[in-house]
Amino acid sequence: MTAQGTNSAIRVGASILRDYLVLVMIAALVALTALIEPKFLSPENLTNIMFQFGPLMMVALGTTFVIIGGFIDLSIAGTINLVAVVTISLIQPMGQVPALLTGLAIGTVCGALNSVLILSSGALTQAEALFMTFGLSTVYSAIALLYSHGSTMHFWDITASKSVFQAIGSGSLGFLSWSFVIFLISLAALWVFQEMTAEGRAVRLTGGNKTAARLAGVRISRSIVVIYAIGGFMAALGAIVLFSRVTTASPVIGVGYETNAILAVVVGGTTLKGGKGSVLRTVMGVLLVVLMSNCLNLLGVSTYLQVVAEGAILTFAIWLDNRKHM
Amino acid sequence: MDSGGSEVILSIKDVCKSFPGVKALDKVSIDVKRAMVHGIVGENGAGKSTLMKILSGVYEKDSGTVVFDGQQIEHTTPQQSMQRGLAIIYQELNLVNTMSVGENVLLGRFREMKGMRGTHARARELLDRIGSKIGTTRLVSELSVSEKQMVEIAKALSFESKLIIMDEPSSSLTAEEMGELVKIIRQLKDQGISIIYISHKLDEIFEFCDNVSVMRDGRVIDTKPKSEYTRNELIMQMVGREIENEYPERPQRVGEVLMEVHSINTRKLHDVSFSLRKGEILGFVGLVGAGRTEIVRALFGADKVRGHQVSIEGKPTPIRNPRDAIGAGFGFIPEDRKLQGLVLPFSVESNISMASFRKFTRLGFIRKSVEKEIGTRQVKALSVKTPSTKVPVVNLSGGNQQKCIVGRWLEISPSILIMDEPTKGIDVGAKYEIYMLMKEIAERGGAIILISSELPEVLNMSNRVLTVFEGRITGEFDPKVTSADKIMSAALGFDGACS
Repeated sequence: MTAQGTNSAIRVGASILRDYLVLVMIAALVALTALIEPKFLSPENLTNIMFQFGPLMMVALGTTFVIIGGFIDLSIAGTINLVAVVTISLIQPMGQVPALLTGLAIGTVCGALNSVLILSSGALTQAEALFMTFGLSTVYSAIALLYSHGSTMHFWDITASKSVFQAIGSGSLGFLSWSFVIFLISLAALWVFQEMTAEGRAVRLTGGNKTAARLAGVRISRSIVVIYAIGGFMAALGAIVLFSRVTTASPVIGVGYETNAILAVVVGGTTLKGGKGSVLRTVMGVLLVVLMSNCLNLLGVSTYLQVVAEGAILTFAIWLDNRKHM
Repeated sequence: MDSGGSEVILSIKDVCKSFPGVKALDKVSIDVKRAMVHGIVGENGAGKSTLMKILSGVYEKDSGTVVFDGQQIEHTTPQQSMQRGLAIIYQELNLVNTMSVGENVLLGRFREMKGMRGTHARARELLDRIGSKIGTTRLVSELSVSEKQMVEIAKALSFESKLIIMDEPSSSLTAEEMGELVKIIRQLKDQGISIIYISHKLDEIFEFCDNVSVMRDGRVIDTKPKSEYTRNELIMQMVGREIENEYPERPQRVGEVLMEVHSINTRKLHDVSFSLRKGEILGFVGLVGAGRTEIVRALFGADKVRGHQVSIEGKPTPIRNPRDAIGAGFGFIPEDRKLQGLVLPFSVESNISMASFRKFTRLGFIRKSVEKEIGTRQVKALSVKTPSTKVPVVNLSGGNQQKCIVGRWLEISPSILIMDEPTKGIDVGAKYEIYMLMKEIAERGGAIILISSELPEVLNMSNRVLTVFEGRITGEFDPKVTSADKIMSAALGFDGACS
């Protein structure tokens, strides 16, 4: 009996370790990099990291709910492209606050449009959503290219006040960057949505089992619209943080964000099967992805190998997730 | 130990297995002898399936030993077990629907068979051995459930199996198909193959098992030759108490008409109209595929159907989706508990509370304490066996899972409860509890629409029975006065049976 007791204790320990593996990996990564490259912990590099993870964090937080709801969104890259070029171009004619709000509205609509197409075509599997959103991504990107005539727009061409965007890009509130403050507010709001609201629960149930949820009277159509709208809104926020930081907006600025966001969400431990996951896990996932790339940069590893490393941890995360479900 | 003297092919000794929160197997020991049919009976959650999964290598046991054919078995995988000669035929059969019968029998071994011609020839031999005439080039998707089972058995034989485990093979067979299966089981036995036969159905156990083990709460209560059991004794050991009747009395308080349904028409259904009274259990009888499920799904708004009229208490009530239906006072227990009823990885509590959002949310926010009350209330009221309301519902046994779905609807006290195969895969004890609940709901003034493939269940529980054949309602009967034969012939579409 005691043997069995220790046995099950080991198993419980293993499952806790598995659940928080990301944290362990983050700690290990930080320790290892700090040992090899002391510059890693320098204030400049830490500030750098804080600014670096902003855009990806926003996008990944939004993507979390799409994945919890059992779907996937590849249109995000297109949304970021479109929101970035349109918003920056509107600062001059509209003024900065209206431009910012318009940008967020465009992102939300772009996101929601995914769900409208998915619902009207009756495409309720993740694979169908994958291709539909990929299609929309190319559409949004094409509109961005047409709108901007393929050229990059710069802050220095804007004579109107752009103080809000400059603050978002490089300003600080005390020791925290404004983009970090925006991140904290978004995280808090999304966490409340996830844990405490009826709609958050409906999203989870939809991701857990669409058929059962619908037959129990859960409005799964509404949940699907909500998750894509949140995804689009957060992508727009990410786009704004991104172009404010680099002070330029090109129509291809968002390329790669959709896959990196999914990578971060899955690595954080939200399952692609839907139903389970958390924005807090996504925060850990983004941290790991950003730290890893920062660390590999400091160590002078080539970009190509970095991509390989990302692919490897994504595969590992999915493998681990499937082990959990056995 | 036993005077039988025949050789033991499989010896299970002191096997234990725990899952988080549940002790699934507690020192289980069973000996299975060569060329014998060994029945294992027990309620759902008794541990039968877990034991079989340990034997096949799907799960790893925590402790104990398993000796098969003289070899101690540790860390096995399903493939290795098969190759050793231990085959399992699961309830949900494991065949590739898009491939032919022959290909399925010898899946993945075409090269050994020297190509497709050899494969089909070998498959033919194996099928002949069990007296089956299925063509080896037919597609598995075209086969009936019983034919698929034969393919599985032939597949098992292809590995020179010494022991075949059948997990509730009869749950979707007709009486005639069952007869076929019994014949095959006897043939296999004559060929020296042992069989472990897992079932809820006592008739089958008494018909052809040699020895019977009874499991309850993860333990083996007893193993004896069949002849030493009486039916009552077996039931008592299974449920741990005596059950006098399999069915309670029918509900007694049928009142005025509650709902009228006019002309449901779909590709499958033709002019389906009927009425439902307060306090009544209305049974639908028909073959699988006759359209029973489609009728209730159309009624509940689960499928998009237009043009029919539903009036409840005289008022026309349009139902476009399940939400409308729930608003109109419906509850729906779907036929597939796991795919359509439950969100398996979610807690017992949130599975119960799923339909009563309005009760535990305020201004769009969840009130966790109210939700907990809902869960606790239903778990108590239905005596769901679970360590807590926070446990994932997937860890519960079939009967307890079904109770969670019943609880979900009891919480909103529906006036019309649709139950599609409510006792499928549920043990005797839990079945009786569900019957009692049905009676209670009806007598409190609710109405129940019952669909079941178990004829005795519909006939014994319903106040009124409608027969369905090829999408039409072919008859209406009072099961108290009409014989089961007459009702069945209407359900089979025989002319002149309508009264």
